[in-house]
Amino acid sequence: MATEPSTEPQTEEAPPRGTARWPRVLAVSVGAFLLWMLLFAPTLQHNAQVSPIGTRRTVALDILRPIAATSRFLQLSHIVSETDALTGRTGNRPGDGSGAVVIGPFHRHHFHLHHPTGPPPPPGATTTTSTLPDIGHPSAANKLRVLIVGDSLGIDMGGPLQNDLTNTGVVQAELDGRESTGLTRPDYFNWPAELQSDMISIHPQVVVIMMGANDPQDFAGPPDIPYSSPRWNPTYASRVSTFMQIAEAGGARVIWMGMPPMQNGQLSSEMSDINTIDQSQASLQHPPVNFISCWTLLGTAQGTYTPFITNGSGQVVNVRTPDGTHLTPAGGEVLSQSIINYMKGTLHIDLP
Amino acid sequence: MLFPTFDFAIFFAVAFTANWLLNPRPRAWKLAMIALSYFFYGWVGWSYCFLLLATTVVTHVGAAAVHASKTEKSRRWAMGLACGCLLGILGWFKYYGFVSVNVDNVTHALGMGRIIPLLQVALPIAISFFTFMALSYVIDVYRRQLTPARPLDLALYLSFFPHLLAGPIVRGNELLPQLRHRRDPNAVDYSRALWLIMGGLFKKVVISSYVSSAIVTPVFTAPAQHSALESIFGAWGYAVQIYCDFSGYTDIAIGLALLLGIRFPVNFDAPYTARNLQDFWRRWHITLSRWLRDYLYIPLGGNSGSEARTVRNIMITMVLGGLWHGAAWTFVVWGALHGVGQGVGHVRRRSRVNRGLPAVAEGPVRVWVQRFLTFQYVCLGWVFFNATGMSNAFAVLGRLFSGWGHGSPLVTPLLVLVVCGTVASQFVPTLRVDRLQAAFSRQHAAVQVGLLSFFLLGVTTFGPAGVAPFIYYRF
Repeated sequence: MATEPSTEPQTEEAPPRGTARWPRVLAVSVGAFLLWMLLFAPTLQHNAQVSPIGTRRTVALDILRPIAATSRFLQLSHIVSETDALTGRTGNRPGDGSGAVVIGPFHRHHFHLHHPTGPPPPPGATTTTSTLPDIGHPSAANKLRVLIVGDSLGIDMGGPLQNDLTNTGVVQAELDGRESTGLTRPDYFNWPAELQSDMISIHPQVVVIMMGANDPQDFAGPPDIPYSSPRWNPTYASRVSTFMQIAEAGGARVIWMGMPPMQNGQLSSEMSDINTIDQSQASLQHPPVNFISCWTLLGTAQGTYTPFITNGSGQVVNVRTPDGTHLTPAGGEVLSQSIINYMKGTLHIDLP
Repeated sequence: MLFPTFDFAIFFAVAFTANWLLNPRPRAWKLAMIALSYFFYGWVGWSYCFLLLATTVVTHVGAAAVHASKTEKSRRWAMGLACGCLLGILGWFKYYGFVSVNVDNVTHALGMGRIIPLLQVALPIAISFFTFMALSYVIDVYRRQLTPARPLDLALYLSFFPHLLAGPIVRGNELLPQLRHRRDPNAVDYSRALWLIMGGLFKKVVISSYVSSAIVTPVFTAPAQHSALESIFGAWGYAVQIYCDFSGYTDIAIGLALLLGIRFPVNFDAPYTARNLQDFWRRWHITLSRWLRDYLYIPLGGNSGSEARTVRNIMITMVLGGLWHGAAWTFVVWGALHGVGQGVGHVRRRSRVNRGLPAVAEGPVRVWVQRFLTFQYVCLGWVFFNATGMSNAFAVLGRLFSGWGHGSPLVTPLLVLVVCGTVASQFVPTLRVDRLQAAFSRQHAAVQVGLLSFFLLGVTTFGPAGVAPFIYYRF
């Protein structure tokens, strides 16, 4: 009897070494993935909890809750926690540093402080918030200590600023930037705790803050406070105020950089609202926090988004990355120079 | 969609199952793979799918016109027009902003007004890769090395998701025949595939991320704040970071394709063991360097003319190769450095031959000195490659001279171990790797599940909280 030509390559022999039939490969791969999920479930559950509020988070939590419970019941979660403890991988890290394989909307890099200990405040330095110590004449022997903190835009600004300040030879500048972070979700990254830790280790005399691009989102509860809720603005204002107070508590001058206009109209409007809150909270502090607006520095004269600006020497420079949100190195440099000019002109700090 | 994400794991489970279930039905298989590939690409931004589609249409029409042309002249015109369109698309998206700013500044310096509008065009991810694949396809048809593929085959060739975002740059004669034949569902090369995927994940998630945050980013962010030793490790660290990042991506891509029954060409072959720059480019991003050789260097005349002409061809090829990576002067310098290095090497070799001198004895000391010097020169190029601008690159390099006498707290024993260990690992014979793969394949399925899951656990435990996009995604 004639047979139809087979549609599948058939073989009676065993597969060559290192090869297998596809269902077996699928079974091994899916099995390994599920076992990994079981071992890693508590961390995955935590990562889901600190992700932006929405359907994706809800679904992820619903799936992971029973798996994580099983993992804990079987004591499997100890493998990860013990490894973290052994390798010292604990502490305040975005997403709790547990190896989540998710990318935040503004995720690019993660900057650490690399000189975590700074000199103590000079003898006689006052730590009251109303009378600030004289820091007007830093020198190579008595460097001005500057701390720069922020989210990804803060990093874009902070890199050039750190470099420019260091190049003066009279400033020790430290950058603590964390991408995808802000003040709305301390469960993802606790900025107040981080700033307090920085203040203790560095004793900065000037703190530069640029933060807020990731903040237009719901506060995680319970109860959650939706971004559109009337309770959102007062809650955010309170967090900004607390953050400013932490920065000022050690007697440091605080400079708060506002957010620039964004290419996305809605995000730009949200940034404008964030700036209004930041600026009003800055003026309420004792002494007032120095708020510098970026709105026209990095925008048009009318305050709208532009990727190109003309610098002082008449050269056109590209100040924004193609995502319409972040700053190019040239954009960071524009802000850096404006901050240094502010430090010289308004804060009367004698910088070369 | 990034490879090391939960989203991709779910996507690939679906793609893998669909791939083998539809394997007996070639047309349905191709349609499903194209749909999945466009879904994969659209995850980044749906509008870019239209660009990929437009590139496919231009490539198909161009190749068909070349094939249908009766005379050599009309063939050349058709090929030129198709390549011009493809390069025009690439040029608009990738280079318009760079060109417009530089032209504007030149006209400003000459006291002239603005002659072209300033626009910032968003760069679609992967455009450099699929444009180069499209160009090679059209040129291969023109050279009669390839007959035009059917539209479905061409669409899948250009969009096939394992290579779509960052290569390897697969030739038509390598991938198209595989798309026309059914794959053997009884012999999936899973041992090698899983080895490549796991190794790639480890390189990207653990090594590259660690080196980036431990030394590279701090050094390049604030060069003035770092010592000479930290700057040296910043450059060496970037060499390790970009190798682990890009070869890690490529390994995962090759492994994923293998699981689908498709073989991709090798893209890396222990590049830091190279003894000269020519050798380096035979080992680094091999699919790009052979593209540049076959579609740029040889058409320019290659090394068939005078020495000056050969050096000129090398320089043009390497500078354009640098610009392929990005629209910035730092990439031009990076390419020029490699061009100069290869040009000097070529002249030295040619001059030795011309003078009738015997070959130099290849002692181990000489070989290691060559390797060391080549690595340092490559690292010099990497400084420009990674710098945010020329001043940033010179600031990092300047610290090599002015940064002595300072502490180097970032150069920890762990960092030294990781950087040196990664470079040293390139000298491990591949035979040992093959033995490990064979040993894995002999294990019972349950043991394989356990080994894989614990390896994944190690990668996710020791990796950072989030995975940065692959460096080559932005090219």
